[in-house]
Order: sequence, then structure tokens, then C-alpha cells
Amino acid sequence: MRRNILLTSFLALASFGVNAAEIKFVCYQDANECDVLQEMTSVWEGSTGNKVNFEVVGYDVVRDQLENQLEAGAAPDVARITNLGGLNKYYLDLAPYVDSAAWEKNYGATLPWYRKPSGDNGIYGWQTQLTVTGPYVNVTMFEDAGVDMPEEGATWDDWADALRVVKSELGLTAGLAMDRTAHRWAGPAFSYGAKFHENGVPILVDQGFRDFAETFVGWHTEGLMPAEGWPAGSGTAFKNAAPLFLDGTVAMHMSGSWMLGNYDANITDFEWTVVPIPCGPGGCGAMPGGSGVVAFNTSKHPEVAASYVDFLSQAGRAGYFAANTGNITAHQGLQKAGIDYSGVSQRVSAGLSTFAANAGKAAESTPQAYWFQGYNKNFAIYGIVPDYITKAITGEMSLEDALTAIDADVAAKIAE
Amino acid sequence: MLDFFLNLNNWLLFFALYLLTGFILAKDVYGFLPKLMSSIGWPIEFTQKLFGTKSLPYLFLFPNILIFGLFTFLPLFMNFGFSVTDGSSINFDSRTFSGLDNLARITQEVQIDTGGVNVEDDKFKAALADTFVFVIMQVPIMILIALFTAIVLNKEIIGRGFWRAIFFYPVMLSPVVVAFLWTLILKRQGLLSQTLIDWNWISEPIQWLVDPSWTMFWSIFVYTWAHMGFYMLILLAGLQSIPRDLYEAAQMDGTSERRVFWRITLPLLMPILLVVTVLSLIKAVQAFEELYALQVGWISLVSYIVENAGIRGQKTFFGLGIASMASLIVALILIVLSLLQFYLTRRQVKL
Repeated sequence: MRRNILLTSFLALASFGVNAAEIKFVCYQDANECDVLQEMTSVWEGSTGNKVNFEVVGYDVVRDQLENQLEAGAAPDVARITNLGGLNKYYLDLAPYVDSAAWEKNYGATLPWYRKPSGDNGIYGWQTQLTVTGPYVNVTMFEDAGVDMPEEGATWDDWADALRVVKSELGLTAGLAMDRTAHRWAGPAFSYGAKFHENGVPILVDQGFRDFAETFVGWHTEGLMPAEGWPAGSGTAFKNAAPLFLDGTVAMHMSGSWMLGNYDANITDFEWTVVPIPCGPGGCGAMPGGSGVVAFNTSKHPEVAASYVDFLSQAGRAGYFAANTGNITAHQGLQKAGIDYSGVSQRVSAGLSTFAANAGKAAESTPQAYWFQGYNKNFAIYGIVPDYITKAITGEMSLEDALTAIDADVAAKIAE
Repeated sequence: MLDFFLNLNNWLLFFALYLLTGFILAKDVYGFLPKLMSSIGWPIEFTQKLFGTKSLPYLFLFPNILIFGLFTFLPLFMNFGFSVTDGSSINFDSRTFSGLDNLARITQEVQIDTGGVNVEDDKFKAALADTFVFVIMQVPIMILIALFTAIVLNKEIIGRGFWRAIFFYPVMLSPVVVAFLWTLILKRQGLLSQTLIDWNWISEPIQWLVDPSWTMFWSIFVYTWAHMGFYMLILLAGLQSIPRDLYEAAQMDGTSERRVFWRITLPLLMPILLVVTVLSLIKAVQAFEELYALQVGWISLVSYIVENAGIRGQKTFFGLGIASMASLIVALILIVLSLLQFYLTRRQVKL
């Protein structure tokens, strides 16, 4: 009898627990993004009784392993990702669970980045932040060299001239470093007039692309860009140039807004700033992008996962996230109203304003940047360009051959 | 399915059922401990009862065969499957059969999907050629150095044990540590460039690992440094297995050291030397970790496979198939080398 009572009590307790769902969230962070998301999540957990199990991982895990997990059916319920268009066949459509009109109103500009190539109106992800590529400059070096920084609207050639003087005055190894990926390369290429597509079909090597490729190889040949940057990587490998900026090897780092928190925390021995994106004959090009939180269609609790993503995307929470992580919000209402960045340092706040302005300039003068961001096979192109441009820099092949090979390789990689 | 195995309760239930089965089958046994032992070991007793003692070895082999099959043969078959199918997915139901298309993609001048110029064949052939150069240079150099070192360390020299440990030490280091150490020396602002500049031997620092004129040299150097100790140890064991009385007899006959080496040491060491040669050939064809971590300026065959397989970055539609086909070609090379080892070893035994 006593045993039966115990068993009944146990079953009753177990059945009570069934109502609350547990979902798994795989989250990567550049600075404190997952910490802030966890803070926000605790409010949702308190109000719904559901539980979110956070698995904070390195970016490599999300980039390299998540797709295999999705294919193997061992995916989390929710993840923070950057390959927005590449994983769209796995996304849970949130539309049946959320207020679609509100999502369209607040995130209409970024929702297409998550959709399948044609005729898809689903709602798939909350764009946690907008990122924009752009240059960081070592102000102390410019001051020590007695060189004035080029003003807003200056071209890449103006900046190259200024950096040459800084390099020679201070005896630097190089002047400018850029992360080894076509994602960073694309902005300056847009400025030189590269179109990247024609009516939605990728065409990489046009005159603008060729002009910038020639300039870029020349910058390496003359030593304006360091041998530790692009030439030090092989194949399609990504190489972060931040260490070269951090240790004073170069005076400028072509990176993006996601590095603000990192540089703010780690640079203590020199002054730095974010400068307006340099321009060129094609406009003032910067690559927009960012990361988003998506739910997957393999989730056992689609309603719960969708409601969780919807909760995070609300204006108050999106604003809190942007303010506390020092990021540009993708919420269009908040973009108009403005975010109170009082929680971050002055230079991060100033950097955010500059990056936001860069995004605006890019949208106006180089709209192909937004096409390239939304193109679902852009990740393949990110690796192919450095592979061949590096060979042109090191003299393994002529620039002409490298450009021909880029076109041929991209065509082969995107063919299905 | 995975959830079932991850659930501890399912395992406990399974164990309880297992014990219960054993308890029922072991009904003729008396006493708690014997009964418990019989309940735990019932599959063995049951098999013995059913098939006799002859079947027992297979029962013991079964778990090993299962694990071996799961982690060795299954990936082998999957690899073959990927090589003759197209698609970015690892699930075969999402891949389409394409026959030898992937072989065409890495060997033909014309790209079969676009009809344009193919660049994948250039990449594959470059990886094949560079790996060939690496193997042809690295293996003989390493074996010669390992043989010379083993001969020196086989003599009665001061601190012999210490020197043996010093030469073997790099083998114990992780490839990543090896690469890190040598990157500190070989990067542009590294120790080597700075020292040579201080000595006025060079005027500008050199990026030794990336410079096309130096990258292969340093790849061979570092790889030899990292692996030589292992082969030296095998050769040292081989040298010590040569009977001392042969050397004593030669000494009594007044044979020169050079003649002793060519007539006694080398012929008797030959079987070991052959094994070392083939093992190091196989290892050199598979070279990856150190070269990858060093970020050398050329792509080895295994790096080519890793790059295409979509292990890093986003997958491409044909990448996995191309990588699998390339890995089959590497496997073919390794099979030929292994057969060569088998043949040469047997020949030596017969001689």
C-alpha cells in the first residue's frame, strides 16, 4: 500500500513536469552576447515555466559543425548563427506562431536573408544585430607620425597614401591589414565598382573587381599590406588580422563592428577609432551582415521554440540586447528611435554610430552589398577569392589567371 | 533512437532485464555469490550450453568486431558511397548517384557541370605533385638522418641515454605544439629572420613558412624534426638485435669500420630499414597536422581533402564527393605502398 502511494506520488510529479518544455540553445559569442541572452532568457523562463539549456560554443562550432548536426537529426532547438541563407532548409517557420505583420514591420529588411531563394515568405529568424564591415585605425600611430587622418568621403587611395607615410615615418612592418575572407574584401571591391551580380546571378570578375584586385595585390607587393595577412594563409582558410592590429604591426585593420567589444576590452596601450568607410568610383562599400537566432524544424517543441524567439525579438528585449552588447540593432523601429548606449564606453558608442552610418552609405551607394549578404551561397565565394588572390600575391599565378580561375571556380561551386 | 541510449533509466532497465534473464537461466546454481556470478555471465554459460566451447572465442570477439566494423568499415563504405554520389548532405537519401563524375571533376580539363574551364583538377594535381615532392624529399632525408643518429647513439658515447631522450623528445610533442614552436622561429618577425638580420646575412625578414622558395624546405625540415626520433628508435632496436659476435669476428679479422658497415650492419638491418621506409612513406603521404598548424604555403593531399569535405566553413554541393574521391586515390596509393612493404618483407625473410 505504502509503495503504491509512493509510486502514485512519483507519477503525479512526473506528469506535472511534462507541461514545461526544455529546449536547447547553441549560442556562440564574440564578446558577451550569450551572457546577455541568458539574462533575457531567465525572464522568459520565469513567466512560462519552460527551460532553455544554453550551450555556449566557439564560432567554429556553429560555422563548421551545426550543419552536420542538422543533417544527422541531432540539432538543437534554437541556435545563434551567421550563415543566414545557407541553412534555410532547416529553419522552423515562425509565421504560424507569431504576429507576422509585426515581424515584417520591425525586421522586414533582414527577413529575406533567411528565406529560400524564391517565393518564400516565411519568418525564420530574429536578427540579433546588424554588423557592418569597416576599418579601425590606430590614432596614436597617426599622431606619432604627424599624419592627418583622411576626412569622411576619402577614397581607399587617400587612405593608402596616408598609411604609407605612417608606415615609413614609424618604421612599421605594414600599414593596413585585412581579415582573409572575401567578406571583408567585398566592401572595398564595391567601392572600386565591383557589382558581384547581374539580376541575381553572380558575376564576380568585372572591371571594378579587377581594379581592386590589381590594387590589392599591389599593396602587398609594395609592403603596405603585411605578409602575415593574406599571404600567410593557404587555400580557402579564414585568417583573422586582429592580432596584427593589437600588436601594432599595422595602423589600420579592415574588420567590422563585431570587434568593437573585443578591442574596447583588450586595447589599453594606444588610442583607436572607427573611421567612415573609404569610398571609390563605385561608392562607399561596406558589407552588411550579422547574426540571428533561429529555431529548427526538427524541434520537438516548435511552439515553445517559436515563442521563445518571438519573445527575444520584441522591441524592449532587442533594445536591451543591442545596448548591452554594443551592437547595431536590426529592429527598424529602434533604429529610428535610437538605442541608449550609455552602458558601453564612449569609443564603442562612437564606433557604433560610424558603423551605422557606413551601413546607410552602403545601402545607398552600393546596394549590391545587400544582395551579396542575402545570397545563399556567399560562403563559398568568401573562401574562393582569397585562395586565388593569395596565389597572385605570392606570384604562384598571374593576376589574370587568378581572376579567370575565380570565375571558373565560383561557377563550379555554385552549380548544382 | 539516440535519446533512448542517452537515457540512464533505459540502461538501468536493460541491466535489470539482463540480470533477471540470468537469474532465470541460472536456476540450478545455489548460493548467493555463485548465483550472482551466473546471472552476470549468463550469455557465456548459455552459449557454452548451446554451441559448446568452440563458439566461445567468437562471443569474445563479437564486441571488438562490432566496434571495429562500426568505426572502420562503416566509414570506409560511407566514404566510397560519398565518392559516387552528389550533394552537400551526409545523408545518403539526400544524395544522388553520379558514378565517376567526381573523378572527372578532379581530373578533367573541362568542368563537367558548367562546361567551362575546370580549376579543381589543377588544385588536385597541384596537391598531388606537391605531396609527391614532399614525400620524395622528406622520406630519404629522414631515414638517412635517423640511420646516422641511430648508429651514433648505438656506440658507447658519453650521456648516451640523455642523447637518445633528446632525439626522441619531439615525437612526444603534439603536432600543434611542434607547429607553434616552429612558427615562433620561422614567422617573419621570428627568431630565425631576426638572427640572420643581426648577422647581416639577410637585409629583410623572410616569411619562411609562406615564401614559395622556402615553404617546402621548412615543411620537410620541421616534419623530419618531429618524426625522426620514432624511426631512429626502431633502427636502434634493429642495430641492437645484430649479434655482437659478428662484429667481434670482423674486429679479429682486422676489417675496416666502413667494410663492417656495408657488409654486416646494413645487410642485417635491411629488413628493419625496409619497414621504416614504407612506414615513413605512408606517414608522409598522410602528412597533415603539422603542415596545417604551421599554415605552410602549399596544400597537401590530406589538406585538399579536408578543405573540400566541408569540415571547415560551409559545404558546397560537390565538395564531399570530391573529397571522398580524392581520399580513395590516397587510399589507393597507401594500399600500393603497404603491398610493397608486404612483398619486400617477405622477400627479405626468404633471403
